[in-house]
Amino acid sequence: MAFDPVHGLIPGRFNRRQLILGSSTAAAIAAALAACGSDSKTATPAASGAPSPTDAPTGTAAPTGTAAPIGTAAAGTPKAGGILRVGTLGGANDIIDGQHIVSKADIIRQVTGWEPLMSFSPDFVPEYTNGLAKDVTAKAADDFIVTLKDGIKFSDGKPVTADDVVYSFTRMLDKDKALYGGSVLRSVLDVSGISKIDDQTVELKLKQGVSNFKEALCAYVCAIVPTGYERFAGDPATQVGTGPYMLKEFEIGKQSVHVKNPNYWDTGKPFFDEVHIIDFVDADALINALLADQIDVAGDIPSASVETVQGTDGYKVLNSAGGGWLTISMAVDQDPFTDVRVRQAMRLIVDRDAMVEQVLAGFGRVANDLYAPLDAAYASELPQRKQDLEQAKKLLADAGKSGLTIDLFAPNDTAGLPEMVQLFAEQAKGAGITVNAQVIDGGTYWGDEYLKRTFAVDYWGTRNFLLQVAAGSLKDVSPYPDDHWPPAGSTFEDDYKAALAETDDTKRKVITDKMQQELYDTGGLIIPFFQNLLDAYNTRVQGLVERANTLNLDHYGRGWKNLSFSE
Amino acid sequence: MSNNRGVLKFIARRLALGVLTLFVVSVVVFTATQLLPSDPAQAILGRNATTASVSALRAKLGLEHSAFYQYTHWLKGMVTGDPGDSFNARVPILDYIGDRVVNSLFLLVLASVISIPVALWFGGYGARKRDTTFDNVSSNVMLALASLPEFVVGIIFVLLFSVRVWHLLPAVSSIGIGKGPWSDMKGMVLPTATLVIGAVPYISRVVRASMIEVMESDYVEMARLKGAPEKVVLWRHALPNALGPVFQVIALNIAYFAAGVIVVEALFNYPGIGGALRDSVRVRDIPVIQFLVMVLAAVYVVTNLAADVATVLVTPRLRTRIQ
Repeated sequence: MAFDPVHGLIPGRFNRRQLILGSSTAAAIAAALAACGSDSKTATPAASGAPSPTDAPTGTAAPTGTAAPIGTAAAGTPKAGGILRVGTLGGANDIIDGQHIVSKADIIRQVTGWEPLMSFSPDFVPEYTNGLAKDVTAKAADDFIVTLKDGIKFSDGKPVTADDVVYSFTRMLDKDKALYGGSVLRSVLDVSGISKIDDQTVELKLKQGVSNFKEALCAYVCAIVPTGYERFAGDPATQVGTGPYMLKEFEIGKQSVHVKNPNYWDTGKPFFDEVHIIDFVDADALINALLADQIDVAGDIPSASVETVQGTDGYKVLNSAGGGWLTISMAVDQDPFTDVRVRQAMRLIVDRDAMVEQVLAGFGRVANDLYAPLDAAYASELPQRKQDLEQAKKLLADAGKSGLTIDLFAPNDTAGLPEMVQLFAEQAKGAGITVNAQVIDGGTYWGDEYLKRTFAVDYWGTRNFLLQVAAGSLKDVSPYPDDHWPPAGSTFEDDYKAALAETDDTKRKVITDKMQQELYDTGGLIIPFFQNLLDAYNTRVQGLVERANTLNLDHYGRGWKNLSFSE
Repeated sequence: MSNNRGVLKFIARRLALGVLTLFVVSVVVFTATQLLPSDPAQAILGRNATTASVSALRAKLGLEHSAFYQYTHWLKGMVTGDPGDSFNARVPILDYIGDRVVNSLFLLVLASVISIPVALWFGGYGARKRDTTFDNVSSNVMLALASLPEFVVGIIFVLLFSVRVWHLLPAVSSIGIGKGPWSDMKGMVLPTATLVIGAVPYISRVVRASMIEVMESDYVEMARLKGAPEKVVLWRHALPNALGPVFQVIALNIAYFAAGVIVVEALFNYPGIGGALRDSVRVRDIPVIQFLVMVLAAVYVVTNLAADVATVLVTPRLRTRIQ
């Protein structure tokens, strides 16, 4: 149920709603068969909800044939060797590009082969551990000096130099290429602002002060490619990067084979000899392939298959708190949402617990109409908003909108959105208003009327607060201003600029707290929940850690370098 | 001699009708895909479409021409073996999904080659052993199997043979890069078996009914009276006359396979036209949709044509009528 952190994924590349519906059938049959007791392994009921704390496989019955079960996936000494088989939903639209993605499968292949300058720590603070820079220093809020780590080489053996960094940033700034890796950069940097200082150092002069610029450098698609790099167009040898694995073969819509990068800089890693990334069109087949030991890890599984995986010895579900969210957006400059009381009433109509249960099958956390939950600056101290139908009715009456009838639009190609609007329409009846849930064809939804509708929905991945504001909450500059925020008279945009210019974390937090308070009190987004990331894996794979994350499978094991097979 | 001419004329007429059918299908397919909601350029670019990029892509895809021009252009391409380029992948369709068509045909042929003899045997033997325990049991089992949709059969197979009870066979097909499905015959077992289970009950029931009808006819009675052994009566005298309806049901089943493979392919992650069709509908890759639907229609028309011709050829009554 998780969506991708890079906003702008083309929706509907995989129609996951249908896949999930299909899966529930399979899961039901699997559960029924298990209930028949046809096999001793299914004595553990497939319907047990929580992951078993003592998940040590019995050894004899493990279908994987591995004799050395381990208690937690992170334990054990990493063993070198073997072929990791990764299953993902994908299809004929897959691409490989070090700085661009279209589908989930593309993200996996990108992370396998390329790396950004910096990376987020587990607490989502920019750090250097998994990045190619050893230092990024702000001379001023609009002037950053990037210094590369020493001795890093591309997979073809050539050293990574300042020229490659200059090329990488220039490529991402190319408007015609419209690369996702450059989606943030293009608004703050011009090609003229990039200059090489020496072989290891590049200076980036921004168009304005951007105090959180390092966060932009942490985006996995904001990656370094060698000079002259272009997208995969048939020849695997062109796909040179610094990542743990390099492309050997790729058949679009079927499978890609990646081999160990012999020049990898992170000493001792990676462990597998090869990584095979295999496309599936159907989530049932993905789970079946895992349970038949044809793949080792399955990225992004439907919630309906969680019980099936947990009920099978030798397999585990990785249930990580993600920062992705779905939203119902109210255009604050269109009737009836110009009246703040109507917006407040709509937010009080939502039964958030029911949303998590019914839309996410329980695999999510209740949200508070605010985004960026993984950001250290998230305003977690604001009281949790709960359903209050009486107050909602009163606000609507005060606004003269009792008995309101309104259409709420959603696309049919993105899992969760149709379910969310239908549930909201139900809940709205309690406040005496009529919400018509209009689930329409995805191609039409994302067409000309997208971002113009009064009452609609959208989906977002994880971003830190200020990046998210830039992406969606500034109606004149954001690419996706869902709720046409801010309304006339608001100081929000000025506050945003002040926060961008403020390099002192404490002082910046004061400003972002004020902005979040404003969004919480009067904003146009209903954010009912944050989604979890759900994956499944064979317990012979070790190194996966269940923690808050922006990408599935523990950030795809950072390009698989953190994972290995147990002895 | 005149007999042969009659048959040839009949075949020619059926062929002409088949071509006409395909032509009508092409008009329907073209119109229907034109009527799909939303613009393909918009669908390809999705949420990131800008007005400029949409109009640029429309021009590139030739969407600004009239529908009639697009149709004739497309039809010409289909007839001359150049169905055009995929909107989405921007490469010729045959390069893009040619392998997938071959993979699906391989699965279809394999399923047909196995299911037809099996069904003939079950049906023929059931007719001979009419109302015995064998007949009763096999009839009821067949009826039960016929009532199961193939995704249920497929899931049960996977649970039984791959993931739950035994771990004998792969749950999904794993055809290596650049290889044909014949390189992974183990992976073919379950998809093929699923299709066979879907087809055998239908064919065998028709074989059985048809055989029973023929076995009660005068000429079989005659053959028996002249002392021919039961086996000879069954296979030489009865079967050819019972084959007419059987050909028809086989043709229908092959056509059903062509559609059934879409479900089965998804279930077993088999790289055939099913996945390609799904992907292309999702991104409004209209040339690919049109090509695949025409391929399916052609399979349908050709198998039915073959069945009609075969029926005429094996049935003495029909053969003499067309003279």
